Amino acid sequence: MASQVATPTSLQTPTTSSSTSLSSPALSPSSPAQLSPDDVELLAKLEEQNRLLETDSKSLRSMNGSRRNSGSSLVSSSSASSNLSHLEEDTWILWGRIVNEWEEVRKKKEKQLKDLVRKGIPHHFRAIVWQLLCNAQNMPIKDQYSELLKMTSPCEKLIRRDIARTYPEHEFFKEDSLGQEVLFNVMKAYSLVDREVGYCQGSAFIVGLLLMQMPEEEAFCVFVKLMQDYRLRELFKPSMAELGLCMYQFESMIQEQLPELHMHFQAQSFHTSMYASSWFLTIFLTSYPLPVATRIFDIFMCEGLEIVFRVGLAILQMNQAELIQLDMEGMLQHFQKVIPHQFDSGPDKVIQAAYQVKYNAKKMKKLEKEYTTIKTKEMEEQVEIKRLRTENRLLKQRIDTLEKGQVTRAQEAEENYLVKRELATVKQQSEEATAQLEQARKTIRQLQQQPLAKGPPRFSEESVLQLEKELVQARLKEAESQCALKEMQDKILDMEKRNSSLPDDTNVARLQEELIGVKLREAEALTGLKELRQQVRDLEEHWQRHLARTASRWKDSPKKNTLSELQDELMSVRLREAEVQAELRETRQRLLEMETQNQIHSNQLRRAEQESRCLQERVQTLTTQNKDLNVQLQEIKRRQAEIECKSKEEVMAVRLREADNIAAMAELQQQISELEIQKEEGKVQGQLNHTDSSQYIRDLKDQISELKQEICCLKGQKGLVSQPTFDGIHIVNHYIGVGESYQSSDDDGAKDPDLQSLQPRSGGRIRLRAKLEDTDSDEEDGDALRLSVPQSKSTTV
Amino acid sequence: METIWLYQFRLIVIGDSTVGKSCLIRRFTEGRFAQVSDPTVGVDFFSRLVEIEPGKRIKLQIWDTAGQERFRSITRAYYRNSVGGLLLFDITNRRSFQNVHNWLEEARSHVQPHSIVFLLVGHKCDLEAQRQVTQHEAEKLAGAYGMRYVETSARDAINVEKAFVDLTREIFELVRSGDIQIQDGWEGVKSGFVPNMVHSSEEVTKGSRQCFC
Repeated sequence: MASQVATPTSLQTPTTSSSTSLSSPALSPSSPAQLSPDDVELLAKLEEQNRLLETDSKSLRSMNGSRRNSGSSLVSSSSASSNLSHLEEDTWILWGRIVNEWEEVRKKKEKQLKDLVRKGIPHHFRAIVWQLLCNAQNMPIKDQYSELLKMTSPCEKLIRRDIARTYPEHEFFKEDSLGQEVLFNVMKAYSLVDREVGYCQGSAFIVGLLLMQMPEEEAFCVFVKLMQDYRLRELFKPSMAELGLCMYQFESMIQEQLPELHMHFQAQSFHTSMYASSWFLTIFLTSYPLPVATRIFDIFMCEGLEIVFRVGLAILQMNQAELIQLDMEGMLQHFQKVIPHQFDSGPDKVIQAAYQVKYNAKKMKKLEKEYTTIKTKEMEEQVEIKRLRTENRLLKQRIDTLEKGQVTRAQEAEENYLVKRELATVKQQSEEATAQLEQARKTIRQLQQQPLAKGPPRFSEESVLQLEKELVQARLKEAESQCALKEMQDKILDMEKRNSSLPDDTNVARLQEELIGVKLREAEALTGLKELRQQVRDLEEHWQRHLARTASRWKDSPKKNTLSELQDELMSVRLREAEVQAELRETRQRLLEMETQNQIHSNQLRRAEQESRCLQERVQTLTTQNKDLNVQLQEIKRRQAEIECKSKEEVMAVRLREADNIAAMAELQQQISELEIQKEEGKVQGQLNHTDSSQYIRDLKDQISELKQEICCLKGQKGLVSQPTFDGIHIVNHYIGVGESYQSSDDDGAKDPDLQSLQPRSGGRIRLRAKLEDTDSDEEDGDALRLSVPQSKSTTV
Repeated sequence: METIWLYQFRLIVIGDSTVGKSCLIRRFTEGRFAQVSDPTVGVDFFSRLVEIEPGKRIKLQIWDTAGQERFRSITRAYYRNSVGGLLLFDITNRRSFQNVHNWLEEARSHVQPHSIVFLLVGHKCDLEAQRQVTQHEAEKLAGAYGMRYVETSARDAINVEKAFVDLTREIFELVRSGDIQIQDGWEGVKSGFVPNMVHSSEEVTKGSRQCFC
């Protein structure tokens, strides 16, 4: 095929189209070194055409319809629309040839194929080329697909929820569309085939893209291949260890080829997983619009995951200048908003840049080993950390208990010390007592010995008697003195009581004062009295003298009249004086009496006031006590009332509970009775069935033996299984009425159909279904009876 | 021009797959509700400024995580540098409520020696007819874990702001009281630049206990 100058006729034999004048020489995929300038030109034009095709939305949508029937392996470019320009036709012709001669091209023209793929696979060819690239033709699993769809997968619910969110803006996958249904099918089928991976969010995008190109069975096969051969399976496994490895490898690539950017990322704590996880998990399908992502996916199909590394690094390189100026938040927003639209004009630029990136497969392997060692170390460290943490916790607990123990021990030590001290003192006392006891004993012994040594025993007896008497007397005296003492003490107490009942010291003082006053008055009165007596005596003397004079005067002459008058006057004056003095004394006396009375009264008043004050205080204290007691009484009453209420509530609650329990019990009894009834019914039915079935078993057994005989006969006759016997069995079938209807189990696993069918039946059911090819059957001929006759396969009636 | 904010808190949103984490965050940060959107593959990032009191603005950096269990190996790296978290479950999905315990364990074991302030969120509260988890039992669970509980709906925009603002306020109080401190190398809390205060940036990052208000 590789002749450079191919005749037009040879080219046109597999194709029919509007003829082209160009085409022949340059269309053969030859090595770049041998390309003529025409070839180069053509290739350039092809690239241009591809770009046009990419941006042509009509051609996009036309490829997105789903086709239920499986596509043919041969693609004839005659189905191409007549609107294509001749360059597109060239591409198509080229690809058509490649497809038709795939095996050879794959082996010999690998490099050219790669180049062509890099430039983009035409839409129309994607389906077939992708399948060819991953060797998804004629996979045995394809036949299982329809069976897989009938099974139920544990991941179904999860898949259902995510389907609605996959490519939500895309026409093909809108609400309740065929696209969603088909996507669900493929995801479910894969989750059943690969139980370890099951379903992982993100893989739906890849499957969605496949479904946009090809029908579901083929998409399924391609997807299986992708997962198995293209490292995707490892990425989607529950542990996601491979993703971590890819991150690690990608990071080291950045470190090596974009060191400044790497340092900037480190400084901003900008981790690779923040932006690159979805690149690897969805091969850029969530990061870029479909046209760009599809081109990258072409290359992914051809070359594997390597392209993700390359494109990723190319993107970073192209955005390096802007990223270095942004902080972590800015970078994330850049990734979210700016980068997806960078290649709206066309992905060729980034793909070219991708191929400038250095990718060293050996280094990747080395990194893989490094990564696994790092990971195992981390795991060990984690284990160690966990162990240390639990140890820590245990030690802390122990410390707590020990601390508590310490406190109690300190207390015990204190008590111990006290007890010891007491013990010491007690011991001392006991020692002293024993010493005294010994001394006493000694003296006793001495005394005992002494009387033995000295006089006769009678003497000692007498002395003893005397001593006893003296002792008794002494004790009597003691007693008497004590009595006297007691009496005196009692007297003293009485005196004190009397004293206390008497007025106070102050009052005593006042009484003493009163007494003194009284005595003073008395003294004054006495002195007054003496003076008065003296005056009286004086007067008497004067009167006697006067009398004497007057007597003598009668003898005298009237010469001495004035003298006697004077003497009389003097006498009268003296008498008046005495009277006046007596009055004065009297008044003084009365004054003194009044004063004393005044004092007495005032003292009485004071005493009365004091007493009243004391009484008032007593009254106040008593009233306050009264109030307190009242308050307490009220509080107690209140508490009582509350307690009563609470007890009432509790009683009510208990009664309610009782009522509920009784109701529940009644319900349960009802249920029990119902179940018993059902049981009885079942029993009766079983018996019936049994009686019927035992009969039928006999009939059937007879028939089976008949059949076998016939078969043997027929075999001898070179005949086939006869039909009439089947009719016989058919008739019998209806009586049995075996209804095997399977209900699809829910998400948590499909139940074993054998078990399911056994469950609701009582004994006596015929199980003649010995071997089944398929594990599940949803067929409506549930009345089927499958016989396993030795030579023939399972037959259904 | 940088917006002037007092602090920057980093939050993480976790919960079972399809409970509505991405929707809730989008409603909060972009103000829109998308009936359908891509499932989160790995982690997504959003940010928004909130004003918890007049004049006090806090910047929130929010990590949206994938809910499927196998993605935990990726998402667990993000717990350490988060100061707050919203633990979401779907009130119409009993399983998602039962898994709250697992999520909490997961977070706590990977965030040591720091700790995260969590808010329990019952999402999709507009679907009252299909409710499988009562408000009462969710409140009880939240109380047992020492966190608050809010019911939200991204579709009807119920309590969306409240959830985030409440959590932010809680974290702000803890930062103010010194229970949570700014640390070098920890991205959970960062302090912002307030032009009225005359202080050097070093003073700010040392994490002094004075607050700026």
